[in-house]
Amino acid sequence: MIVAEQKNLEEIMRMIAPYERVMILGCGTCMTVCNAGGERETSFLHGALRLAQSKSGEGTHSFSEYTVKRQCDYEFLEVLDDKIDDVDTILSLGCGIGVQAIAERFPDTPVLPGVNTAFMGMAKEWGIWDERCAACGECRLEETGGICPITRCTKGILNGPCAGTKNGKCEANTDMDCAWILIYNRLERLQQLEKMRRYYPPRNFLAVARPKRVITKANTEAGENNG
Amino acid sequence: MYSPAENAQDYGPQRLVRHPNRSLVPPCQAACPLHMDIREYVDLVAQGRIMEALQVIRNGNPFPSICAYVCTHPCEEDCRRTQVDNPVAIRALKRFAVEFGGDRMILAEAETTRSERVAIVGSGPAGLACAYYLRKLGYAATIFEAHTELGGMLRVGIPRYRLPRQVLDTEVQRLTQMGVEIRTNTRVVSLDLLFELGYKAIFITIGAHQSLKIGIDGEDSLGVIDGATFLREVNLGLKPSLGDRVAVVGGGNVAIDAARTAARLGAKKVIILYRRSRAEMPADPEEVKQAQEEGIGILYLVTPTAIRREAGRLSVTCVKMKLGDPDESGRRRPVVIEGSEFKRKFDTLIAAIGQAPQTPGEFGIRIGKGSTIQVDPVTLTTNRAGVFAGGDAVTGPATVTEALATGRMAASRIDDYLQHRYPVADKVDRETLTGDLLPETIQMIRKIGRIEPAILPLEDRAKDFKPVELVYDWETATNEARRCLRCGMGAEILFQDKCATCLNCLRVCPYHAPYIDDSGTIQIPVEQCQACGICIAECPAKAIIMRKPYDRRHIAEELEHTLKSAAESKYKPFIVGFCCQYGLFGTGALAGLWRSAKAGVWIVPVLCVAKVEADQMLRAFEMGADGVFIAGCGEQCARENTASWVQQRVARVRKTLAQVGLEPERLHAFSPDMTNEDPARELDNFTEKISGLYLASVLMQEVKS
Ligand SMILES: Cc1cc2nc3c(=O)[nH]c(=O)nc-3n(C[C@H](O)[C@H](O)[C@H](O)COP(=O)(O)OP(=O)(O)OC[C@H]3O[C@@H](n4cnc5c(N)ncnc54)[C@H](O)[C@@H]3O)c2cc1C
Ligand code: SF4
Ligand code: SF4
Repeated sequence: MIVAEQKNLEEIMRMIAPYERVMILGCGTCMTVCNAGGERETSFLHGALRLAQSKSGEGTHSFSEYTVKRQCDYEFLEVLDDKIDDVDTILSLGCGIGVQAIAERFPDTPVLPGVNTAFMGMAKEWGIWDERCAACGECRLEETGGICPITRCTKGILNGPCAGTKNGKCEANTDMDCAWILIYNRLERLQQLEKMRRYYPPRNFLAVARPKRVITKANTEAGENNG
Repeated sequence: MYSPAENAQDYGPQRLVRHPNRSLVPPCQAACPLHMDIREYVDLVAQGRIMEALQVIRNGNPFPSICAYVCTHPCEEDCRRTQVDNPVAIRALKRFAVEFGGDRMILAEAETTRSERVAIVGSGPAGLACAYYLRKLGYAATIFEAHTELGGMLRVGIPRYRLPRQVLDTEVQRLTQMGVEIRTNTRVVSLDLLFELGYKAIFITIGAHQSLKIGIDGEDSLGVIDGATFLREVNLGLKPSLGDRVAVVGGGNVAIDAARTAARLGAKKVIILYRRSRAEMPADPEEVKQAQEEGIGILYLVTPTAIRREAGRLSVTCVKMKLGDPDESGRRRPVVIEGSEFKRKFDTLIAAIGQAPQTPGEFGIRIGKGSTIQVDPVTLTTNRAGVFAGGDAVTGPATVTEALATGRMAASRIDDYLQHRYPVADKVDRETLTGDLLPETIQMIRKIGRIEPAILPLEDRAKDFKPVELVYDWETATNEARRCLRCGMGAEILFQDKCATCLNCLRVCPYHAPYIDDSGTIQIPVEQCQACGICIAECPAKAIIMRKPYDRRHIAEELEHTLKSAAESKYKPFIVGFCCQYGLFGTGALAGLWRSAKAGVWIVPVLCVAKVEADQMLRAFEMGADGVFIAGCGEQCARENTASWVQQRVARVRKTLAQVGLEPERLHAFSPDMTNEDPARELDNFTEKISGLYLASVLMQEVKS
């Protein structure tokens, strides 16, 4: 799941300042799951913005809200076609992908990001989210016992642990588990400790050509253009 | 210029989805012969809305105050709270509602809109109920009763200490008010005559008054009397002389009533002889207990085999029994222990081993097993056209509620017959909740033991027919009512298309009710949900609803209404309080405080603060509230975790307040156990603080301008 955090209200107010009619657009998928921009958060933000406006006595915005099933597919955005002309901007509570999808789908309407897309991760428990994957494009979880050192080691090192590990915790944050100790323990449990003895050559950052594209079509030419 | 009112249009109540009642019929309601909406009125009592509770009760029961005293409460037998600790004291709560809700003031009215007249033979509960509903349907009805007074077994069977006669009289009077014609002292001997008198339909409810014989030698001796006759005589004002030692044979409620009545008439020693053991005894355990308190002895596994009258007393030969194999009723059959005979001397022996109906042969209707009248179970018709029957006369000795239910049903069936409609069985349109609570659920439900209503002290009972059971006081009643688990009305994912399977509900539910089914869909099993509402307020997709729609305005609607009034009053500063309607804040000492509304304090009543959503707190501020508080029952709440969820939302909204430049302490959650402060004082402190903040902000503004 993609995890994000709603932006600070002040920043949002600064962003919307030039626009009069603001549509707050929620997303019914990842942003709902991570409590950043589902229908409930959308209407909470809506309330907060109206409150801010009524307290300052200055704003001249009019707000509306809507939540689509998923912002990152054009097809789900079609329902906005007859609403888009009535708004001056869309304040999207979708992740960065959603914001861009809207920008592409509605070329004449400015779109503002209402959340900071944080990472790909999972819930630790209700209301707490942890990063798990950096989408590096060359997954090595097989070698590391299913625990990703790139995301979960502060330094992202491939041949850990470093000298900063202490009592299983990381020197950068003693509340945080050292990813490499986790990997060690897990490999020991799997009786694959020999994997710890291998040396992993440095990752080739040069090879990562952005933007990446994945093609699952087997029998046609890949499309052109960037997105 | 910005106007909150205009902006409010795309917000608030109109966005709420109104949906029909999707709740399941709870087991208590399913068990009630009258199918009364118990969950509903118990919940109303829990909120202290007694008059509305009474209205719900009245809708389902023509004579609620009678049932409030004597109903055998099959609802409590099936109450699911039993799986947690003990059943909700439903009957006692009904009694509370009836006595405190002003039932005596309710007038029953009816108008005659039909030309057909209906005769009712017998004035027991079945006959009375039938008359009541026939009047409601617009028919002229006449009750014929052999005795001098109306009521059947309610009058001549049930002793006064269990059903005060003024209660019965008030209910009977209602019928007169409704225009039912009453012919007492009139034994009907021929149905033909009634038809000749112009009645178009007849309902026979002659009860089961013929006592069964034990079938032993000497049963006809002087000093032997049957239970029904004995009680009838006492109830009609006679004072049969019993002597000092009285034996009562039998183990049902009639036996217990006869024994307790005998004790009240002055018998020194009353002993019940029952041929099986305590476990098989059909009498209500509570009454058995009260009888024993009153000094009545019970000999189990004993039966009389012969009675002889000797020197003005009865010499009763008894044998001891042991339990053998189960008989057709499922109870273990008593078997005589050979050579265990013993003799006892008594002055009177009351045989209360059961009654059967006795239908005059001249009626010409078909009689079946146990002398009961044979009817079609759906139409209640007998073999004679236009003749219907119901009550004990059809079922054999049963209960008051069953009699009331058949009376009501008979009225509809007679209506069908007279209007030439095809009779259809009364059907229930909603499904009944089945399925037990899971051990995990039970573990999480707060254990709050049942509170029995107080009973008359022993010394006041002995020689008197005063009602033994007393009525709850206000606080006890509401606390008892809060024990109800609100079966079948809980959360449901109504908008599956919106559900993002985020698992929030699964994580926030204190009872671990929601689960993921095999297809990966979230299910909230209706039989586990405790209707606390936490998941509803936390679902980020707003996909969950409460199966039963709010019986009053939804919180959001109530809030808009309150905010509007507050704005119109122009009183500043103004404070909005979301107050729980249950227990302490709703009905307890604090209710008055909130309701008498200090100037500028506006109350939004909520059914548990766990249902107040964060947006609603914000909304109050948006509409000009200077302070907002939330007052719940804290640890006294009947549900788990409600207080901590309020704290979580308050913390969240406070952050937002700070971001828009409002002092976070303008939002405050009270709960009685969080501080040692008296909540009334706490509210005063809060109002003072808000006034201070308000004055400061006014000053600031003046300085600015
Ligand atoms: C001692 C005792 C205690 C009880 N306690 C309880 C209790 O606590 N709770 C409970 O739910 N149930 C109790 N019951 C059972 C309950 O009272 C009966 O089930 C109920 O009253 C049956 O109602 P009914 O209308 O069918 O008949 P009944 O109440 O028996 O009424 C029949 C009426 O018909 C009249 N009648 C008979 N023949 C004629 C005729 N030919 N012409 C005119 N009138 C006639 C009779 O005089 C009588 O008044 C008790 C019963 C007894 C005997
Ligand atoms: S707990 Fe309440 S709703 Fe459930 S069976 Fe008992 S009284 Fe009825
Ligand atoms: S959180 Fe409350 S309302 Fe929701 S499923 Fe659990 S018990 Fe039912």
